[in-house]
Amino acid sequence: MKGTLLVIALLLLAILLSLSVGQVMIGPAALWDGLWHGSGPGALFLRVLRGPGVGTALGAGAVLGMSGAIFQILLRNPLASPDVMGFTSGAGLAAIWGVSAGIALPIPLFSAIGGLVAAGAVILLATDRNGSQPPLTLILVGLGVGFFAAAASSFIMTRLPHQEATEAQRWLTGSLAARNWGHALQVLGLGAALTFALALQVRSLALLELGDDLAAGLGTRISRSRGLLALTGVLLAATGVAVAGPLPFIALMAAPLGARLTGARHPAGRLASAAAAGAIITVLADLAARAAIPGLQLPVGVMTGILGAPYLIWLLVREMETGDL
Amino acid sequence: MRFAFPVLLLVFAAIATLAAGVRSVPVPEIWHALTAFDQTNPLHIVVRDIRLPRLIAGLAAGASLGMAGSIMQSLTRNPLADPGLMGVNAGAAFTIVLGAFLLGRADGGFIAALSFPGAALASLGVFAIGGGVRGETGPVRLTLAGIALNALLMSLVSAIVLTRTEALEVFRFWAAGSLAQANVRPLLEMSTIAALGAGSALLLAPRLEALALGSGLAKGLGTRPGRIQLGALAVVTMLTGAAVSIAGPIAFLGLMVPPLARRISGHTLRFEIMISALFGATILLLADTAGRLLIAPAEIRVGIMTALIGAPVFIWIARRLRPGALT
Repeated sequence: MKGTLLVIALLLLAILLSLSVGQVMIGPAALWDGLWHGSGPGALFLRVLRGPGVGTALGAGAVLGMSGAIFQILLRNPLASPDVMGFTSGAGLAAIWGVSAGIALPIPLFSAIGGLVAAGAVILLATDRNGSQPPLTLILVGLGVGFFAAAASSFIMTRLPHQEATEAQRWLTGSLAARNWGHALQVLGLGAALTFALALQVRSLALLELGDDLAAGLGTRISRSRGLLALTGVLLAATGVAVAGPLPFIALMAAPLGARLTGARHPAGRLASAAAAGAIITVLADLAARAAIPGLQLPVGVMTGILGAPYLIWLLVREMETGDL
Repeated sequence: MRFAFPVLLLVFAAIATLAAGVRSVPVPEIWHALTAFDQTNPLHIVVRDIRLPRLIAGLAAGASLGMAGSIMQSLTRNPLADPGLMGVNAGAAFTIVLGAFLLGRADGGFIAALSFPGAALASLGVFAIGGGVRGETGPVRLTLAGIALNALLMSLVSAIVLTRTEALEVFRFWAAGSLAQANVRPLLEMSTIAALGAGSALLLAPRLEALALGSGLAKGLGTRPGRIQLGALAVVTMLTGAAVSIAGPIAFLGLMVPPLARRISGHTLRFEIMISALFGATILLLADTAGRLLIAPAEIRVGIMTALIGAPVFIWIARRLRPGALT
């Protein structure tokens, strides 16, 4: 309970900080005023300047965090996440391809298809002769698929005119610059729908975590529920990629951080805390990207890379000491 | 005799590099351009001033990266080791950009001088994080250590590049990762360093083989594991630093070449390194030529070509690893 309150307090603090700090500082009182009266500088910052970006960051962080938690629980491996396994790179590639080819379909559709194709390729290529997918093979093959998607994205970018290529590069790093309420509502709406779908599957996720034999004994149809959970996880990640680009490391970091903050054990609690932790990290990373260098907005992906890479290094060193990896 | 096939392939790749392009040059004309240069013949100028530097750059960079991959795979006993994937390119990028940021200078020689310290730091770092000191560099661990280091360094590079235009210019020039600007790069100096690296690699090879038998056995044979490992990392740095100064960041070449070379060389490391040099140069030249032809008159950077070919090779090797050998 204490942990839950802590996470909620952190989330509110992150949102408040992110709304007030920037090129122009604005106090909580003015924001409060703007929220209730709908006029004055507070309202401008809330409605137009910073609100949409913060909303998009919240949504993107939450869906990426949940997606990471699903795969980490399913594969029982802290390295299993949609960014490490190449799903977000696949989603990013499809989005870049769709935009550069000038096809007038919504970006989330492209990123969903790209994420699903990448995930399908990873699962297919990692399947061994016995028809099973060892988690470490999945991770390695996923890394390879990610490398290929990244190379293909670079290839597409060389064919774009200079200005568009710079824009595409920024997007592929992961960016929340110039987001409007359309982006925020899109990620929050799709995210809410997918969260509902996920809530219906929490029971089978909890059973699958106990082990395949036990889950089957308790009446779970293993491959069907695993497939549905993976599908939900990929779609969640693709929803985040569609508005923020393939942000690195959020999905990897969110679940362990969230579980540490709340102390949640049950999958439902871990999914919720992963969503909250993902949102906190993304909002704070976006704030840091805006405020780190005066007069310049770094892509948020640069910040999550600077935060996430040391975490991955720490994870590797720790797993090495405990002998898990 | 074992060298006949790789050498023939390399000769073919070299001729293709000189002959193919937006303007294709017939083979007899290449010969004339090299032996009896005629200043008024545009074909001769294309061959001599544009494609010949490109050929030399491809030879030096490709051979260096092939050898560096072979040494890294032997040192880490890991078939997925590759200087580019392990963050050595990113290390070079980081020091180049940092130098440009602090000093505000940019030219070929400057880039070359700065790429070595970064390559050295990154190769040491990835080896240490990946568990090299304890002799436990499993594929998953080493690859992830490389990814983490790559991500960290490239995030820092983006942050620097976005704050300072000079740094951006330097980075763009270097990261273009192609052989196209070979004639403005310090080809001669870098080729010399690469040659020194190649010589040291061949000298070091027998000791690295002893090390591969296990550090206990290596000590018994009178070698000191720590020194050999440092020596090998120094050689990797020389070779990779030279290659990235000539051709920009190129990944996956060091991954693909050694397994091919092993089919011909068997498991003698000295032979493997020599054949890796030949195959590395051949594949880089062919990839570069293909990159010039596929979407002509535009060009696909050779670094993108090697990544498009190399990523499937990475998956193929990863699939063949037994689960027990992964950690």
